[in-house]
Amino acid sequence: MSDKRILFLLAAVFLSSMVGSIFLGMSVISPSSLFEAGSPDAEVFWRLRVPRTLAAFLSGAGLAVSGLVFQAMFRNPLATPFTLGVSSGAALGASLYIRLGLAFSLPGIQGSLLLALLGGLLSMLLVYLITRAKGGFSTPVMLLAGVIINFFFSSLVIFIQYWSNARDALQIMRWLMGSLSGLDATRLVDLGIVVCIGSVLVYHMARELDLLTAGEELAASRGVAVRRVKLMVFVLASVMVGAVVSLVGPIGFVGMMVPHICRLWLGAGHHRLVPVSFVLGGCFLALCDLTARTVLAPAEIPTGIITAMIGGPFFLWTLFRSNRDGELL
Amino acid sequence: MNTVLRCNEFSFSLAGVSIIDGINFSLKKGEYLSIIGPNGSGKSTLLKCLLRLHEGGQSRGQIQLFGQPITEYSQRDLARHMAYVPQAGGRIPPFTVAEFLKLSRYPYSAHRNALSLQDKGEVARALELTDMQGLAHKNLATLSGGERQRAFLAAALAQGTDVLLLDEPASFLDPRHAAGLNALLKYLNRQQGMTIITVTHDLNHPLDAGGQVLVLRHGWQAFFGPSSQLAIPGILEAAFEHRFTYLKHPTTGKPLVLAEQC
Repeated sequence: MSDKRILFLLAAVFLSSMVGSIFLGMSVISPSSLFEAGSPDAEVFWRLRVPRTLAAFLSGAGLAVSGLVFQAMFRNPLATPFTLGVSSGAALGASLYIRLGLAFSLPGIQGSLLLALLGGLLSMLLVYLITRAKGGFSTPVMLLAGVIINFFFSSLVIFIQYWSNARDALQIMRWLMGSLSGLDATRLVDLGIVVCIGSVLVYHMARELDLLTAGEELAASRGVAVRRVKLMVFVLASVMVGAVVSLVGPIGFVGMMVPHICRLWLGAGHHRLVPVSFVLGGCFLALCDLTARTVLAPAEIPTGIITAMIGGPFFLWTLFRSNRDGELL
Repeated sequence: MNTVLRCNEFSFSLAGVSIIDGINFSLKKGEYLSIIGPNGSGKSTLLKCLLRLHEGGQSRGQIQLFGQPITEYSQRDLARHMAYVPQAGGRIPPFTVAEFLKLSRYPYSAHRNALSLQDKGEVARALELTDMQGLAHKNLATLSGGERQRAFLAAALAQGTDVLLLDEPASFLDPRHAAGLNALLKYLNRQQGMTIITVTHDLNHPLDAGGQVLVLRHGWQAFFGPSSQLAIPGILEAAFEHRFTYLKHPTTGKPLVLAEQC
């Protein structure tokens, strides 16, 4: 498929999902009402729908690009920010923030974002140290280390919930389900900066990712400094996941489904995959959020439940489609 | 400098277990080296050490490329001098032949997506040398074993290096494809002046290809010298702990080695 055609399709998907996510919902907003002075629809539009749609888009984009990076690095469609422990590390940081009743922020960075980032980076550091302790930077060891850290940090999150009062426990539980409701719009700027810069940097390493997909030995023989590149993309993807999880909670499966579908559609070239996963990841989460807001209206389902309901069967389909070693097909 | 590659008392161990022990050899520009030895003698490990592909492990001694230790080269500079054809039967990269060959130009155009005219020329030349032009847009996964092996060789050639290292390139090929591959390697060595190092299980390959042979046994160097010496009884018997019969090819007159049945 030509680049022009892809661009046209992406623009169409982007526009329709953004317009749908902003104008549809519990109540349908008429475009004409936006220009009426004191209209409640205009208030809902600017204060709720636009920031929420933007948050959904940026979160989906960040998760999809991170998932793409992990899949390329591990040559496995089932390698996601979740299976590698990065999400649970971020969840641990954010749960601690809620449990300890912290209310601090650094200039430009909210406290919960900072703790989630630190949690994500801590899990990444532990995965790295475990992998290194086993010698080299082996992919299977790294994947197993991620699974171990994921279990360990998830247990710590449950422990924190157990030791919390009812209000905090509920807040943590609600947050763990992954939801885009009740967002702090000011934090969108932080998220936007992290996700956009992270994605641009990943795009600049597209050829390295292509070669890593072909195999680490082959990549090294073609001149890729495999260890350094793996570390760099791992940090980048972890920071993006940390930023997303701190804002919307651990929304699962976006980082697995979107990049995998993009690979099936466009092949293995990351110069196309990075921007396409960015846009489609964003649109996918915006549409999932729209579903979460409307399917049981006036009640609202956490968005993470919608992605999990689509992602579970997709995970199984991917498992049965992959070869014996679970490598990308 | 005429010497391309030199191993000085090179040893390599992994998790305290010695894999390679005290290897000494040097190779001049345009020479052909076959590395042979029984299973587990460290042939592939040595090849990967020459390419600096081993993660972890401890090494002693030195490997020099053009007089400079390979540890002093950046990964990209190393890739401008040496190209690698891995063992067949591994994972298949999810690319078309053309895409796969373009990736080989990474050492020269790491920060550019578009290939330069020189890059395109090298890719076209590699496709032509391996007779892969007609398959350029086929996916690697859809090729036969022989075609895929040629695609891997084409990708290594597209890297435009002076030295080519191959790990058992003919092991999964039928006799016709194996003969075609060996003829191509000979052409690259003799007509194009490439320095070639190949790990092989075919004991007649060094006798046919000529050049030097390195025989490994339990990780140490059992023999290094002209491959014609393999036709003299004693070297192979000591390395493989097996009996061999030595013959002459009825038409070419070249020496042949046959492993005796147990």
